[in-house]
Amino acid sequence: MSIEIEAFTRVEGNGGAEIIIENGEVKDVKVKIFEGPRFFELLTLGRHYWDVPDLEARICAICYLSHSVASVLAIERAFGAEVPEEIMLLRELGLLGEVLESHALHLYLLVAPDLFGYADAIRMASKHGEVVKEGLTIKAFGNYLREVIGGREIHGINVKPGGFGRYPTVEELERMERQSEALLKFARRAVGIFAGQEYLGAKAEHYVAVNGYLYGNGLIADDGEHFDYFKCIEEKTLPYSFAKQSRYKGEVFMVGALPRVILKYEMLTPMARHLYEEYKEKLAQGYVSLNNLAQAIELVYALERTKEIARVLLDKGFEGENVPIEPKEGEGIGYVEAPRGVLVHHYRIDEKGNIAYSNIITPTAFNHAIMELSLYEEAKKRYGSSDEMTFLQKLEETVRAFDPCISCSVHVVRL
Amino acid sequence: MMLKLGVFELTDCGGCALNILFLYEKLFDLLEFYEIKEFHMASSIKEHDTLDVAIVTGTVSTQRDLNLLHYARNHSNYLIALGTCATHGDVQASVEGKIREKLEKVYGTRANPMKALDSTPIVQHVAVDYALPGCPYDKDEIYQVLMNLAKGVEPPTKDYPVCVECKLNEYECVLVKRGIPCLGPITLGGCNAVCIKSQLGCIGCRGPLPKEANPASEFEILKELGYDEEYIRRKFKTFARGELRW
Repeated sequence: MSIEIEAFTRVEGNGGAEIIIENGEVKDVKVKIFEGPRFFELLTLGRHYWDVPDLEARICAICYLSHSVASVLAIERAFGAEVPEEIMLLRELGLLGEVLESHALHLYLLVAPDLFGYADAIRMASKHGEVVKEGLTIKAFGNYLREVIGGREIHGINVKPGGFGRYPTVEELERMERQSEALLKFARRAVGIFAGQEYLGAKAEHYVAVNGYLYGNGLIADDGEHFDYFKCIEEKTLPYSFAKQSRYKGEVFMVGALPRVILKYEMLTPMARHLYEEYKEKLAQGYVSLNNLAQAIELVYALERTKEIARVLLDKGFEGENVPIEPKEGEGIGYVEAPRGVLVHHYRIDEKGNIAYSNIITPTAFNHAIMELSLYEEAKKRYGSSDEMTFLQKLEETVRAFDPCISCSVHVVRL
Repeated sequence: MMLKLGVFELTDCGGCALNILFLYEKLFDLLEFYEIKEFHMASSIKEHDTLDVAIVTGTVSTQRDLNLLHYARNHSNYLIALGTCATHGDVQASVEGKIREKLEKVYGTRANPMKALDSTPIVQHVAVDYALPGCPYDKDEIYQVLMNLAKGVEPPTKDYPVCVECKLNEYECVLVKRGIPCLGPITLGGCNAVCIKSQLGCIGCRGPLPKEANPASEFEILKELGYDEEYIRRKFKTFARGELRW
């Protein structure tokens, strides 16, 4: 027999799970990603490079800017173009905005109702309006950063190869500096709230992240490896899912906030690092539900880092001019940390500047295998010892901890 | 009397549902008139009886999407097709080729156990009461539409190009002044010319202007600027599957 989770709720996109029971024991779990395939790699083939970041943004609304930036980095690397530090800092501001917007959405609107015992944040707001409001304020600030840097809250087209369409003004940077400081107390409170969550799911065999905190030129893992994604990661297609599964050196691994804070704690800003140290032992337990606590610590990081960058740019000033891009035949990979983990865009471009090969791997595709393993372990632990409603609810909470972004995961090309 | 509202997501980027949450405090204003009975991104509640208003986002890209769309239509009095996926098909519907060929290229097999379909807009499958395009749509638009409906007023539709809002904002015309390909003249307005604000060209994400667009003329202008025909053709059909003909 089997138990179906028809559709995960309070997650982005459409997916469900089948828990297979044999002789009174959980035998297997299948995470079924049934959101339709969207074929973005095919969409971009033959397209002129200039238009591609705008198309790639449409892969996901929650992390559109991560897709635009990963796309732009891949294009610039293919052409051997280098942009000055100020342009990279401005891009980072956009990525930080995305972390704030996405983590706040996930923690306050999707996960918090589980902690406080409600079906959704709207119903939770009647008793815990303050918490919901704090979350929405952080989220709105994240969206402000995305609007200024990316051109609009969702699917902006301002992030371009070589620079931007429009550069931020001094007033906008001053507002970023001021507001990030003011919101820090909310983020610190979030760390306290999510530190209390129970342990759910599996422990990852390996963690994988991008070598820089939010963008970089390669991947790192907990075993000290520094590598390009195609060297150590293998993907396979499944008959029951439009998303593929990946293994790192043949083993199940995890990407996301938890791997980031553990692998890159040295890059954290002062208060975030202090909080990391405080919860270090807890985080080292490695259960996937600790991803929520890691995200809360990253809210603090993102606010501190935003303040830092805004100040650097205000002191230093910037040209506001794009680097000229000369199309030529080439190949490039863009590595970005989308809020929910490693994102890879890989292109080969022909001499006219048209895309000849395109491969994209998204965090939820990377996490698909450990998501399945986590549901299996959680189901095994709980089956028979709790009533069916609690059982299913805990499984949903386990999936939610990954902050899955199902829409992103369903269009990955064969390697 | 509270109106019963359902939000149904078919295949898309999640942005159209997310944009409703981006209404922030205005969302709470809406909740004075609406009771949410289905909105899987935001709530674990699912109470289906008959809905007063159903919002459907995304394209029909699987048999499951089609079944869900029919369910939403059959259980609602007023159905809104929200976002360019729902109204015109958007980027995923512009991917050329038959579904089995696409599956083979991407998944390495022609087998189709999960019943994927070539992506199509929902307006192609069911009658809709209101269509609001945009990738994404302007969130204030859906707020206005829902407020109108709550007050028993049929919401108005827009019928002017992006250029109108560009002029009202006094932006410099990027097409004429800088030779940047801009689809503003043939694209339905309502976004407040947001891309031209970034001094970039309109990419046509709200779909073609329904009546008086002149794509043939736009095509000629872009050709004269030196863009090749294939490039222009692809640009025209990106969000609306070749509905613009010249």
